[in-house]
Amino acid sequence: MEFKLEAHRIVSISLGKIYNSRVQRGGIKLHKNLLVSLVLRSARQVYLSDPCPGLYLAGHPGAPALPQQPGESVAGPPAGWGEPPPPAACAAWPEPEPQLELPAVPEVPRAGDAEPAASVTGAGDTLQGGEAEAAEAAWRRVEGPRETAVGGSDVFPQGLGAARRPCGFPPGDEDKMSASPRVDGCCAPRPAGPEPPVPPPVCPRKRGAEGVGGGPADFPAPGSTPLKKPRRNSEEQPGGAAAAAAQEEEEMETGNVANLISIFGSSFSGLLRKSPGGGREEAEGEESGPEAAEPGQICCDKPVLRDINPWSTAIVAF
Amino acid sequence: MAGPGGGGCPAGGNDLQWCFSQVKGAVDEDVAEADVISTVEFSHSGDLLATGDKGGRVVIFQREQENKSRPHSRGEYNVYSTFQSHEPEFDYLKSLEIEEKINKIRWLPQQSAAHFLLSTNDDLRINLWHLEITDRSFNIVDIKPANMEELTEVITAAEFHPHQCNVLVYSSSKGTIRLCDMRSSALCDQHSKFFEEPEDPSSRSFFSEIISSVSDVKFSHSGRYMMTRDYLSVKVWDLNMESRPVETHQVHEYLRSKLCSLYENDCIFDKFECCWNGSDRSTYSCAWQCSHLGSTWPGAGEGSHSRVWSSGPGGRLRPCSAIMTGSYNNFFRMFDRTTWRDVTLEASRENSKPRASLKPRRVCAGGKRKKDEVSVDSLDFSKKILHTAWHPAENIIAVAATNNLYIFQDKAN
Repeated sequence: MEFKLEAHRIVSISLGKIYNSRVQRGGIKLHKNLLVSLVLRSARQVYLSDPCPGLYLAGHPGAPALPQQPGESVAGPPAGWGEPPPPAACAAWPEPEPQLELPAVPEVPRAGDAEPAASVTGAGDTLQGGEAEAAEAAWRRVEGPRETAVGGSDVFPQGLGAARRPCGFPPGDEDKMSASPRVDGCCAPRPAGPEPPVPPPVCPRKRGAEGVGGGPADFPAPGSTPLKKPRRNSEEQPGGAAAAAAQEEEEMETGNVANLISIFGSSFSGLLRKSPGGGREEAEGEESGPEAAEPGQICCDKPVLRDINPWSTAIVAF
Repeated sequence: MAGPGGGGCPAGGNDLQWCFSQVKGAVDEDVAEADVISTVEFSHSGDLLATGDKGGRVVIFQREQENKSRPHSRGEYNVYSTFQSHEPEFDYLKSLEIEEKINKIRWLPQQSAAHFLLSTNDDLRINLWHLEITDRSFNIVDIKPANMEELTEVITAAEFHPHQCNVLVYSSSKGTIRLCDMRSSALCDQHSKFFEEPEDPSSRSFFSEIISSVSDVKFSHSGRYMMTRDYLSVKVWDLNMESRPVETHQVHEYLRSKLCSLYENDCIFDKFECCWNGSDRSTYSCAWQCSHLGSTWPGAGEGSHSRVWSSGPGGRLRPCSAIMTGSYNNFFRMFDRTTWRDVTLEASRENSKPRASLKPRRVCAGGKRKKDEVSVDSLDFSKKILHTAWHPAENIIAVAATNNLYIFQDKAN
């Protein structure tokens, strides 16, 4: 559990760094962003390989807020990364490639009740003792799929251009994505079927703004004890009530979109314009489109864009 | 500084007694970003010392000659010249600002009365310039993929072999080093040698890739070895063995448990450099030549090099080879490769009295902190020593601490 939280935290930090790099003087530093993207990939894979995929991670109070909006509070009732999308949201997405090549992640009961009342201690810097073993086990699982990855195509952000792909973090699916038309990858790896497998962890649709790139100010100082944060998982479990989930999500989306617009600025609104030139800003010479599309063009169809969750859009914005 | 060294020997860090010599730079608490030193380099003779800063300025210091009327200023480095090397530019095509920061200074072997400098920066390509042809260069390494999305690594450092002008090495962000021979092909996409240490699976973490990225590579003066610096360690490689380094020296292993915090505050991306001591010249038989001592050990000669032994404590004789690199809290580390001993020293204004000896520092990684030890949590990560240089022939070192340049000397000098 702590491992997963650490992965989550690292993803947040990494996204924040990628964003900040866009506005820093001297432009995007290729080397640094490459390294950040590798960390992002590792964290994502570890998150996925952790055998508690259904667990909520979002919205614990005290989660780092955005550097730009330090005062931002948890927006709405986040239901966590582990939530399956309401069927409506998925309907517009084409069927992805048959099944994710996930490491053996068992289907976990939605409520995640098996988890002990988790105190969030995962913010620690060290994996020690038993954690180290769990960590190693997780790493081994992670290594597995990597070996089967389609060469050259894997990895969310190999270079900055990889973010071209919508929802750049489909779990373990990048390998497949190389073979299928990009549009399939659109936040894709959740079939609209009844039994969704592990949803993409870094499309935390209900995550809310606070998940993005926690600024250093909000993190516990190195070495300090992380706060214990109460779990809110049980409250938000939709328990299969799709309607409720849909409503929640809609609420979230509205709030999130506004936040994300202000955060990501013009690039985001460029996406919302849904014009081919919308993603243009990101085409900074070194980035090329993931396919034959024009560099910088978002490779989602317009109807899909409308339904795409704000997180994926934000990620695509990079 | 010629002549037989008294009790001191140009050995590694431990037998030398380092003393403060000079410090250059402002004392203000608020350091302007432009004043941060970004590179330090001695000239081949050691008489000149150049620094570059983030503001694009180059300052050259010259060593004072011996002057009987001013004995105290002998060996002092004073400003010789200052110039603005780079200005900020704007790439209108990419809407990118191009930084004026000086990344690297390399002295060219002196061919005329004038001294020349080169300053460069490379991520994906290495170009070779002819000094008299300034409008074009020759591309020798190009790792830019056709599709930038397939980019997996960038070039992080490169250096020419000290003796074989056709050989160069370059390191990558993946922690690998490639040696290329420009005679074998015009474009050195294929390497002649590939150096990589297998990863230790038990130490895998989220940040394994970052900390294995090589930030600096330096050939030994002999050309037989090279040294690489990654985030936590310095490794010495034998050019004849590609599978793993022959030595690994831990610089600040106590930071391994702090990697997440260091990632957050961006310190994990700091690019530390490393350098060899000046007198590690050697041949394949590990003979050393030392410009300090006039005596040679009979019978150990190999060509023009002869084995020179210097006396250390207890009268033991040993060759001299040491490496130096920086750390945080204005600490820098020296490793004696022969005795396998290391020392941590600090560049600080408090220790800046003339000829004051530097006291070894210790970092307490955990448990009870002893007196005079510094605990890991109280390290100042904003005070980092990224750039150091060792005089090519003598035991004089230049250490750049943010916007200050410290010069230390061996007491025997």
